[in-house]
Amino acid sequence: MTHSPPKWADRFLAWFCDEGLIEDLQGDLYELYIKRREQSGKLLANILYVWWVLRSFRLSALKRNQKLNNSFMTMTKNNFKIALRVLWRDKFNSSLNLLGLMIGITCFLLLGFYVKQEVSFDKFHSKKDRIYRSWLKEDYGEGQIFFNSQTPLRFESLFEDNFPEVEKAVQYIEQNFLVGRGENRINETVSIISPDFFEVFDFQMVEGNRENPLPSPNDIIISQEYAQKYFADNEALGKTISLQVGEDIRDFNVSGVFKNIRYESSINFDLAISTDNNRLLFSDRAMNAWFNVIAETYVLLKEGTSIESVNSKMQDVVLSQMGDTGYGDEAMQRDQYNIGMQPLTDIHLNPDIPLGYAPVANPQYVFILGTIGLLVLFIACINYTTLSTGQSLRRSKEVGIRKVLGAYKKTLIYQYLNESILLTFLAMLIGATVSYLLIPTFNRLTGTEIFLQFEWWHAGVYTLLVLIIGTIAGSYPALILSGFKTINILRGGSQSGGKMTAKKGMVVFQFLITVFLITTTLIMRKQIQYLQEKDLGINYEAVISTQLQASPSAQRLSERITSGFENGQLLKARMEKYPEISEVAMGTHVFGTSGWAHLAYTDDKGVFRWFRLLCVDANYLKTFDIDILEGRGFEEGNGLDMRQSVILNKSAVEHFGLKNPLGAKLPGDEFGDHQIIGVTDDFHYSSLHSEVEPLVIVMNPMPIFMGVSDGDFIDTPIPKLVFSYNGSNLSEGTDILKKEWEALFPNESWNFNFIDEQIAAQYASETRMNKLVTIATVLSIIIASLGLLGLSMLVVNSKVKEIGIRKVMGASPTSIFRLLAKGFSIQLLIAIILSIPITIYMMNKWLDNFAYRTSIGAWLFILSSIVALLIAFLVISYHTMRATRINPVESLRTE
Amino acid sequence: MRGEHLGELEELVLLTVGSLTTEAYAVAILEEIVNNTNRKMDVTAVHSVLRRLEKKGFVTSEMGGATSDRGGRRKRFFTLTKAGRRVLDETMELRLSLYQKMPKLTFAVLS
Repeated sequence: MTHSPPKWADRFLAWFCDEGLIEDLQGDLYELYIKRREQSGKLLANILYVWWVLRSFRLSALKRNQKLNNSFMTMTKNNFKIALRVLWRDKFNSSLNLLGLMIGITCFLLLGFYVKQEVSFDKFHSKKDRIYRSWLKEDYGEGQIFFNSQTPLRFESLFEDNFPEVEKAVQYIEQNFLVGRGENRINETVSIISPDFFEVFDFQMVEGNRENPLPSPNDIIISQEYAQKYFADNEALGKTISLQVGEDIRDFNVSGVFKNIRYESSINFDLAISTDNNRLLFSDRAMNAWFNVIAETYVLLKEGTSIESVNSKMQDVVLSQMGDTGYGDEAMQRDQYNIGMQPLTDIHLNPDIPLGYAPVANPQYVFILGTIGLLVLFIACINYTTLSTGQSLRRSKEVGIRKVLGAYKKTLIYQYLNESILLTFLAMLIGATVSYLLIPTFNRLTGTEIFLQFEWWHAGVYTLLVLIIGTIAGSYPALILSGFKTINILRGGSQSGGKMTAKKGMVVFQFLITVFLITTTLIMRKQIQYLQEKDLGINYEAVISTQLQASPSAQRLSERITSGFENGQLLKARMEKYPEISEVAMGTHVFGTSGWAHLAYTDDKGVFRWFRLLCVDANYLKTFDIDILEGRGFEEGNGLDMRQSVILNKSAVEHFGLKNPLGAKLPGDEFGDHQIIGVTDDFHYSSLHSEVEPLVIVMNPMPIFMGVSDGDFIDTPIPKLVFSYNGSNLSEGTDILKKEWEALFPNESWNFNFIDEQIAAQYASETRMNKLVTIATVLSIIIASLGLLGLSMLVVNSKVKEIGIRKVMGASPTSIFRLLAKGFSIQLLIAIILSIPITIYMMNKWLDNFAYRTSIGAWLFILSSIVALLIAFLVISYHTMRATRINPVESLRTE
Repeated sequence: MRGEHLGELEELVLLTVGSLTTEAYAVAILEEIVNNTNRKMDVTAVHSVLRRLEKKGFVTSEMGGATSDRGGRRKRFFTLTKAGRRVLDETMELRLSLYQKMPKLTFAVLS
């Protein structure tokens, strides 16, 4: 043909256009095209033709898809139409249903986000299944166990050189450095990572070379956030960051900027330098030691190898490598020096392996919150079930007609499921939107840190949830409705709206969960209150602490402690001049931090002993009001005290088995000269999760250090200065500290902590959980009330005539109210009684987390029962009161 | 009731179908409208209106014989149905009755 329009436009037309329509449509277009072409030339005609084809792309012209046109789809479409009409007809019940489901879904989603975040820790690494973190467990019998997830520095090469299965081993160390030069240096945590760290983990570089991010020991990489903090909007690459390393301030060159590490990462850092610096940071001895735990060592296995083959060889390798290195005087025995591997993804929720640098959450709490989310959702489903089963009576005629017209039971079930799915879909739409909007509020209220980005696959998950929730909620009413007997319906007989026991059972179950949640909230609240108000044996109100710095030239631990005390002495002298500051003291540890210096040794009789060490000045015990039970406390200016006096707490006296502690010595040969001068009460220096442990308090740690063989210092033992402030405004107290600090140590940034806040922070996860459970409880109360409201309306409606007749016969409003409320109260009472054993069992398990716990008092159950009953009666009374007021003429006239 | 309402363009196309009697296919309808009303129109709009009218039952269609000048494609001819005729009559009646209620002379109020 001479005049033909563009072929591709034709092909497109043929692709979309319905076969019955295409012939004349295309013919018409051709006709116009030819005319056009004669008038205005080829180009314009072609353009117009394409335009017409595009404009023909309309719904009415599209191919009728045979698959979409079968009876199933038609019925579904029809079902949804009917469902919308039904929902629209009974707006009161529909909105109750919708609201209940929506609240349930919102609560479920919010808790679900939290749980998802906790369980998805470290799952973003592409090689996550092959990455393991090593741990070291030394076990010398008799309870002499040293278990650490930080490992000796030599492990990296130990794994790489001796195990063919290991592709790579990398180190991760966190240390604090003073950053900057001149004034206001900031104390920052800097990570020390192996140069090939990024080949194991999937952290993203924004600038710099990802293959070799730290080419030399003098390089540093920095997160986006910190690049912003240090260099504002300027280019960070190539800039200098100075760190205080030992006595020197060294310049590091920024060789890369990495993307901020997401919250769901166990390894989380903002500044990192290379382990090539280890020689500067650690002694030669530490570099080669078998017992000096410093680094987390991560191992990447080769593909296709198993961790079992590494584990099975471990003991042989360890023994051959260690040679005659032994523990104390004896050579190492088999199974004394155990190295284990923990999968990377296991770290975050496994509290059985000791804490390393990576934070660990309590899996029990995650489980509890997930369960509560599910329970609340379940209550919402039950709500739907009871309400729609109740309503089903009204639709019996519809069912009858449908059955007469030939509907199968299956099609009816399908229809009613469509209805519940439609409602769930609406609820999900609103609920999901609301939960996304609520995330910031939720984070603020509960102290969680949920970040969520919508990804398209989430839509699939939500759809799946809609189907599941809709099916669960709708299956019972669907079964009941479709099971109606046609002949009974059409004859006009009444239908039972499902078995009464089933419906009652569901209501009981719903109440049960609600009452359980109320009691749980109350008990948790009581325990947290107990934790916060328990007399710790110390007075810490308005006490402020500040971390002192050791002088850079001090190398050994004891020197650094001494140097810290010397610096503190200068600050103390200045602080004491202020009248509003009453007590100034120093100590190596303060309250509210865990991991006080932990020391261990084997005494002269071969008994393994361990204790915690606190090194203080003469004023410390007095500042915190610690009771001395026997003997005396330290005295200012007493030379003996400054040299060798020791004070024990009660637990330490028991641990060491001392009958007459005063004047005695600690069991063991190698301690320096020392003498016990006093015994304190067991004050709680660590959180109430654990019992009070043996504590040795000294002014001079040297005699003790001489006698111990092992130790770990999770909390830094560099001294802190504490003072109590008597003035009215606490911020003035910190201002004084700031002023004096800056006058004394102009190069270091000042810091402070309130002891009471630190102590409260120990229970942060409990407090958070309590808040989450409280929210869930309030929501479940609302959902249950909505259900009750709907149910009571149904009951009242079905008894309108009965009430009318009773009124005519002279029943008083109260007797009618009693009649209506009786059914509900029995169900509520059953729920309350059933909830008691469940609550006691669950709460005892939770309380086992604490060494010091409150009792589950009976009055808590009474209180929550009263709350539940009260709410229930309030809700029921709305409809029942209305029913009792109806003039019997109104209700009896119509028939 | 929905479905019986006639849009302005629908009414125009329906009238044209009626007036063209046996020669009513999309291009002819388009040309007739363009010539009579001077409005700019596109054949795709005509197609879509015709399909809508057919669905409402105001016109029916059948395919014509083979042609040679339009790529061998047949034409689809539309004819007015009884229902289409009725709805046109009703519309006209309504317009006429409203029109006749107007005073013979109307002036805009001058302000």
